[in-house]
Amino acid sequence: MTNKQQKYDVGDFAMFFGPAHPGSGNFSVKVEMRGERVLKATADPGYLHRGFEKLMEYRDPMQNSVLSDRVCVLEPLQWNLVHAEAVDNLMEYDVPERAKYIRVILAELSRIQSHFIWYAVMSLGTGFMTGFNVAMGYRDYILDVFNMITGGRVYPAGYICPGGVRKDLPEKAEKKILAVLDKVDYMRKFASTENLAWMARFKDIGVLTKEEAIKYGATGPILRGCGVAADVRRDDPYEIYDQLDFNIPVYDEGDAFHRFRIGLEEIEESMKIITQAVDRLPKGEVRTPNLKPTVQFRKAKGETYVRNELSRGEGAFYMVATGEKTPYRVKIRGPSFSHMIPILERLLTGVDYADLPAIYWSLYQCPADVDR
Amino acid sequence: MKIGPVKEVFKNLFKKPMTVMFPQEVVEIPERNRGEHHLDIDECISCGACARICPNRAIMMVEVPPELKEKYPKTYPQVDLGKCCFCALCEDVCPKGAITLTTYFFLATFEKDTTIKEPIIIE
Ligand code: SF4
Ligand code: SF4
Repeated sequence: MTNKQQKYDVGDFAMFFGPAHPGSGNFSVKVEMRGERVLKATADPGYLHRGFEKLMEYRDPMQNSVLSDRVCVLEPLQWNLVHAEAVDNLMEYDVPERAKYIRVILAELSRIQSHFIWYAVMSLGTGFMTGFNVAMGYRDYILDVFNMITGGRVYPAGYICPGGVRKDLPEKAEKKILAVLDKVDYMRKFASTENLAWMARFKDIGVLTKEEAIKYGATGPILRGCGVAADVRRDDPYEIYDQLDFNIPVYDEGDAFHRFRIGLEEIEESMKIITQAVDRLPKGEVRTPNLKPTVQFRKAKGETYVRNELSRGEGAFYMVATGEKTPYRVKIRGPSFSHMIPILERLLTGVDYADLPAIYWSLYQCPADVDR
Repeated sequence: MKIGPVKEVFKNLFKKPMTVMFPQEVVEIPERNRGEHHLDIDECISCGACARICPNRAIMMVEVPPELKEKYPKTYPQVDLGKCCFCALCEDVCPKGAITLTTYFFLATFEKDTTIKEPIIIE
């Protein structure tokens, strides 16, 4: 018998978690198992590759802002914002104050609805269907607000565009935004109830240490769940975040449960931000004056790197303009990439198969932004 | 025993459901909802700006049927809703406000060729 054959047991087998698994999204993990235990996990991305970086080289910035929605289905407004900021930088647009406030309000609402989905999929992955239904139901109230402001429930179609936002807020929008925060608060309380079945599935599962998190390039709630207080909104403020008062929740435990606690507390902080921004919302223009719907890159030359704190972590755009109509090169940095490949593979090694969905969803993944 | 969950059950028994009974009852559609296009052909100046900005190349400038050629001699936008992503850039760019997006969104169809919206329909 050769050595290779001796390595394996009769109970060893390999199987796929996803992409056709109901609880995996468009992502697959190949797991090598011994009985119930995972020996080795290999992430297998690529099922949702749409080639945005190349597509953007053929379109002008306004068309790209429509495209930037689709980088991540679950947080389109925040991707709109990163893209718009990159173009603003290159073209040196002076974004009006009111537009900055509207951008922040929408980005934070988008963060809240995205965190609701996080709760929903974590519940779905561990068989708690009530949690899934309630969270998706409450998310819909936020989508109604998006529909009223941007004209689309999920996809704003470049509402946050280079130079500001495409349209001013409709009448009574402020009132409706504040009204939806009541619903958000109810959902937040529902999700933070001490649910024993939920805690048993997530507590002390998938522990990531601080050193590993830094080594593998974790960002966002995953990094803050391991005790590192890093947040782009505070470390490298964009828009009006430096004028707002909010906290950055941090936990030291690094397990699945505390990763999600960060999300819950962030919902509260986002509510604070939205209330402050709506209170101070100035009057005036919402788009750089004299800007036509077609933004052309003809004048812009140079490169820029813009990063934002998205709900999943740090998302960034690198863009090069060479004075042509379209960008010369676009590179997108999605937060899920480092969470879903090195960190997931590391956390899944040696766990029970039943914990796989819990760990998988606690990493707050979005296959769309892994593949781009 | 905790009474929290029991209270929650009773509260939910008397709450209005989140969903509506669809065909009889419809949720309110906001004015800004981006739905099917509407072209006011008399306003259109055939500049082709909408066709140029469309990120999905869903708009093609076509001629009208021969019967109407005298009245409308130029080319007019024909929208392929199957390609359209409802971004409303065409609406924003139109200098005359001739092409607009309505709130109508019941656009599901079984036949692919019915997705094409001609600039003018002859009765
Ligand atoms: S809404 Fe957008 S995708 Fe649709 S036809 Fe107009 S420009 Fe093209
Ligand atoms: S619909 Fe508007 S943008 Fe399109 S060709 Fe006519 S006038 Fe020009």
